[in-house]
Amino acid sequence: MGIIETIWQILTSPPVFIPLIFPGFITLMIVLLLLIWFERKLTAKVQMRYGPLYIFKAFGGAIQMVADLLKYLFSEFIVPKDADKKVFILAPIMFFTFTLLPLVAIPISSTFTAMQSDLTMLLVPAIGTLAPLMVILIGWSSNNKYSFIGSLREGYIMMTYEIPMFISILAMALTYNSLNLIQIVDKQSGFLWGIVLNPLAAITFFGTLLMTTARFPFDISEAESEIVVGPYTEYSGIVFVLCLGAPYVKLYVLSLFYSLVFLGGWNPLFWPLNTNPILPGLAVLVKGAIIMALAVFMRTIYPRYRLDQALRLGWHKLFALSILSVILALVLVGLGVL
Amino acid sequence: MRLIAEVDGDIIVAFEPNIGYVHRAVEKIAETKTYLQIIPLVERPMLPDTASANLGYILALEKLLDVEVPPRAQYLRMLLCEMSRIHSHLYGLGIFGNMIGSSTVFEWAFADREPFLELTQQWTGARLTASFMVPGGIRRDLPQDFKDKALKAVAYMEQRLKDYDKIFVNNPVTIARLEGVGVIKKSEAARIGIVGPNLRASGVAYDVRKIEPYCAYGDLDFDLIVREEGDCYARLLVRREEIKQSIKLIRQILDKLPSGSFFAEKYLKLITPKMKELMDKSNILRFPAVFSALKPAKGDAISRVEAGRGELFYYIVSDGTAQPYRFRMVTPSFKNVIAFKAALLGGRLADVPSVYGSLDYFPPEADR
Repeated sequence: MGIIETIWQILTSPPVFIPLIFPGFITLMIVLLLLIWFERKLTAKVQMRYGPLYIFKAFGGAIQMVADLLKYLFSEFIVPKDADKKVFILAPIMFFTFTLLPLVAIPISSTFTAMQSDLTMLLVPAIGTLAPLMVILIGWSSNNKYSFIGSLREGYIMMTYEIPMFISILAMALTYNSLNLIQIVDKQSGFLWGIVLNPLAAITFFGTLLMTTARFPFDISEAESEIVVGPYTEYSGIVFVLCLGAPYVKLYVLSLFYSLVFLGGWNPLFWPLNTNPILPGLAVLVKGAIIMALAVFMRTIYPRYRLDQALRLGWHKLFALSILSVILALVLVGLGVL
Repeated sequence: MRLIAEVDGDIIVAFEPNIGYVHRAVEKIAETKTYLQIIPLVERPMLPDTASANLGYILALEKLLDVEVPPRAQYLRMLLCEMSRIHSHLYGLGIFGNMIGSSTVFEWAFADREPFLELTQQWTGARLTASFMVPGGIRRDLPQDFKDKALKAVAYMEQRLKDYDKIFVNNPVTIARLEGVGVIKKSEAARIGIVGPNLRASGVAYDVRKIEPYCAYGDLDFDLIVREEGDCYARLLVRREEIKQSIKLIRQILDKLPSGSFFAEKYLKLITPKMKELMDKSNILRFPAVFSALKPAKGDAISRVEAGRGELFYYIVSDGTAQPYRFRMVTPSFKNVIAFKAALLGGRLADVPSVYGSLDYFPPEADR
């Protein structure tokens, strides 16, 4: 066996392929590049502007983000004098890591998965909940009033969205009688997808997804016209990119998760097609891309909620909806639909 | 401009707008300039609403000079002012949208000023600071195809207002953000003396165009937009309705436009015959020589006009020389700055941008 074959085998083995290539790091970078470009281009189209244009003109400025990234790479990273230095540097890195980490639990076909676990559906959002804590740390260590207000806002919002999010996941777990993402996707064979079975849970989860990724109208912790960029005010250089990129990474992860739980994953691809990881993976990615596009499109439609209004919406509407979705799931189980 | 808020948790307990950072001493500079040189000067602080600033000054100056302005010039002055008012309201709406996070309405409102800027440019030669009104009339008659273009522009604006309603005014998030926020009660509004759309949104029916009609506003039919709520949303709605009223006014002015000269007889006869010939051919005013150093009679004069953001007041004292002895300009934003405190105490920190946007406050205008 040659060395190239060995490397190829290691690369294509699920524990390496999933975190590193697809849906992990490399795909993530390409998706982020195109997602931010798409967001800017779409917003520009609605707002009668051009958006990014000059870098790679033939493709409408598609690699604008690469240029921005290079610019940030070469700009100085300034640590404020009064900041808590260790936390100030480490918190954004851990923030980015914790948003990226849940990708390992996401399967891309019924056989191709990095970790065999019966709890993957719980694991993905559970690792994700560590990220907002890092945002609070970021705000605390910056020692700046805008950062502090922003991270407090993030803390309030976190409590609001996480409970409905987990209750809606509970509803789906009841509906499918499983916490294993592969089994869940297999149960959605045909067109009886989660969004059809339990639309209440799907709506709740989409609402909490907008909140957790700081999309409009819940762009409250970063609120540009109020508190500069919220928790990230003091950051510069490449670490600032990590801070700004992390919500997008979270959006990517949760969109893939959404497509697995609510949009049928690699269904309706049938048996011989869904064993090869390429086609099912693409199906999951395309469905996730639709969710991502929808989430970034909100920017053009909505202004920003005030903090107390978002909290009221979370506790009064989303929480109630999530409870209703559990009841709906119990009814479905009682009727023996699945 | 700095806004200093003292908060208890998220609730504002003390609020102080700190003004004066863009003070340009317009009043003091005016005392060193000749009367004609003051025209461009007073436009500078009131940027989106230059025509009203120009008109107010000229009205006061004409009282000192005792000039009769022909009706055509009166109507054309109103036309420019109403276009300027639409422009000013759109500018305010755009900033307002951006402040509460709707970048779409910001871009739209700023882009939709363009038809009116283009019209102004075609007519006066400048997009913004036209310095178009001079004692005795205006500097140029309407271009030939102006009426059609203006009607097209206002029809477009009417369509766009419906789009704004869809994306911004009737947006549930906008309503949640603005309704019941920054309330200024009717009695409070009258007591602290705020002006313009902000006053009318608090239920006080006060508009200089109605109370003390200047130019020919008395002959035209338009409604006074008044709302009782006094909150940020009411201020937004008042501005939106006022754009509609300005459109109505522009249509009426273009219909009723009287024929005749656009410059006062008193100065017209001072223009040399050769210049007069040129002027008749091109419809562009040639200044009579006396304009280089206008010397009004001793005395003082005041004028009030309704600018886009509210009542604009001028007071000129003349000592018979070529420069004014004292020049006073009280701008609407200066009168409205006090409203920050009235509207924000007891509100939340996130209400500061909503209230700022809704008051349509413009620092250079307030500081002068």
